[in-house]
Amino acid sequence: MKVTAPHFGNVHLAAKALFDGLGIEYVMPPMNNKIALELGSKNSPEEMCLPYKIMMGNFFQAMELGADTAILPGSCGPCRFGKYAELQMNTFKSLGRDLDFVVIDSPVELGLSELFNRINKISSHSKESRYGQIKSLLKAKRVMNLIDEIESRAHFLSGYEKNKGEAKDILSRCKNDALEASCPDQMIRVMDYYRNKQKSIEVDRDKRPIKIAIIGEIYTIIEPFSNFNLEDKLMDYGVTFSRKLTPSWWMKDLMLKPLGLNSLKINQKAKDYLPLGVGGHGKECVGEAVLAREEGYDGAIQVFPLGCMPEIVSKSILPTISADLDFPIMSLVVDEMSGEAGFVTRVEAFIDLLERRRANELPRA
Amino acid sequence: MIIGIPKGLLYYDYYPFFESFFQGLGAHTLRSEDTNKNILDEGVKHCVDEACLPVKVFHGHVASLKDQCDLILIPRIMQINQKEYICPKFCGLPEMVKNSIEDLPGLIDQPIYASSKKKLFTWAREAGSMLGADRRLIENSFTKALDVQARHNPGIRDEKYRITIALGGHPYNIYDSFVNMNIVAKLNAMDVGVITEEYIGEEIKSQELRSLYKRPFWTFARNSYGFLSYIARERRVDGIIYISSFACGIDSVVIELVKERVANMPFMVLKLDEHTGEAGLDTRIEAFVDMIWRR
Repeated sequence: MKVTAPHFGNVHLAAKALFDGLGIEYVMPPMNNKIALELGSKNSPEEMCLPYKIMMGNFFQAMELGADTAILPGSCGPCRFGKYAELQMNTFKSLGRDLDFVVIDSPVELGLSELFNRINKISSHSKESRYGQIKSLLKAKRVMNLIDEIESRAHFLSGYEKNKGEAKDILSRCKNDALEASCPDQMIRVMDYYRNKQKSIEVDRDKRPIKIAIIGEIYTIIEPFSNFNLEDKLMDYGVTFSRKLTPSWWMKDLMLKPLGLNSLKINQKAKDYLPLGVGGHGKECVGEAVLAREEGYDGAIQVFPLGCMPEIVSKSILPTISADLDFPIMSLVVDEMSGEAGFVTRVEAFIDLLERRRANELPRA
Repeated sequence: MIIGIPKGLLYYDYYPFFESFFQGLGAHTLRSEDTNKNILDEGVKHCVDEACLPVKVFHGHVASLKDQCDLILIPRIMQINQKEYICPKFCGLPEMVKNSIEDLPGLIDQPIYASSKKKLFTWAREAGSMLGADRRLIENSFTKALDVQARHNPGIRDEKYRITIALGGHPYNIYDSFVNMNIVAKLNAMDVGVITEEYIGEEIKSQELRSLYKRPFWTFARNSYGFLSYIARERRVDGIIYISSFACGIDSVVIELVKERVANMPFMVLKLDEHTGEAGLDTRIEAFVDMIWRR
């Protein structure tokens, strides 16, 4: 069995750590690229959202490398993500391609025994003992948390660093070296090394960089290919920015959801504008916008794929937040037809706007 | 007290309930006009660009009502069946309206969970208390409204035509004859009868859903898929037309599932948006009907 999973931000690092630890062969799809998008768009319903199309491309490219089993998390609506697996299975079946799907869904939907069945389908190929398997799961989780931490630290430092480009450089070297690691322990060591290295970045404490919050649909904000490397560009511009939605946040949110203890702060901030969840991360998007204003950010950029239902709801609310709190928010919509130049122009114009506001501003009350 | 009822979205399915309920409480209800060019334009003007046509039309209806009534009903329908949703945009409908249209009167926007009578009554109690009605009155008028609703069936089942096609899609696309440019009348004029999903029982739909890998979590998906899959398998019709709005997230999934299932049957998808031209639509319908004749 050769397992593959679609790209989802930095999850491929954790996936590699997990499957290396379990001793299961893992085929990492090539990093998201134009060909993946083309393959995906060709074999997807036209009006499907961008994440679906890119994931399709991942599967095709992984199959070329020999993958035969795909792992996909599920959800139970109301966002479309929960239906991805079924459509993808149908497509591969009608193409006559052999790709087995293991869909990890919530135990409420599947029942515990079915969930364990599905997990077992993969873990039974591991030679490790139950204890060893759990250990590698924990290591994978550690990898996930580490890379998210390093990444968000780099995003913060990029506005303050004295030697321009240092934070970005360390981040990208960290990602590359981590991929080369031969075992999970080494990967963790590599990340620890770079985490320490980040501490040696010289910062200018007197700088007051522009601060931006990245909000919106989770896939399009954590997957650099889908947003034209927005984060790399912001680091180049010397902007400090943060993104609350990360894969590790997502896991935590999912675990705490049944208890109603997930993302308390964000949900509380969203309450005045959107009291009920609308699926996906629509409510989070609204809450983060309010929170960003309170935390002293200069503006927020919302990114979402064309036709994303939850984000359309939040997009219609954001202008009110923007007016109420005097807080600039820009919405960017991406799909397979988006052009990079237009996208970049808008981001640059937005940063210019924030800088000028700064220049004219009175001290905040 | 005048309560405005916008003729958009699930109005066509549930207006008897809402009207009867509010009238029972002693309020006047005021429906907006049938959808027309003005309402569509108002909707497009007010609504966020990315939204689908039905949501824009709904915005237009609200805008046309806002100066004529004291309260406007914005049904935030969260759930009709257990463990199913309608659409994310329905859950956030009041927020979309509130943040897009200025100078609105009060809104009746309590969440509606209609999976059981008890849950639905929660809505009735909250909405009724906004009108200052007491509990007895609310209960009476609620029971009466449910009766009226139970007798209501907006569905179409034509019998006296030479060929029959199944008309699939969300109710607001099928019953709003401005939005779909009078497709039912056009088909009838071509000697084509129409049948809609209301005439297939819930149990049959549930039965059909078993062929899916995963239970659909949208009520629209259950209805459309269950209906079309059954009717195609039984060969009760000569063809299927699916009316869908551009950028509808749910339909992007449902249409694929249905296509897969009804491969042996003529199947056409009509996409509607605010730019749809009538001539193009006519040509496609005519071509589709011609094709069925020739088969």
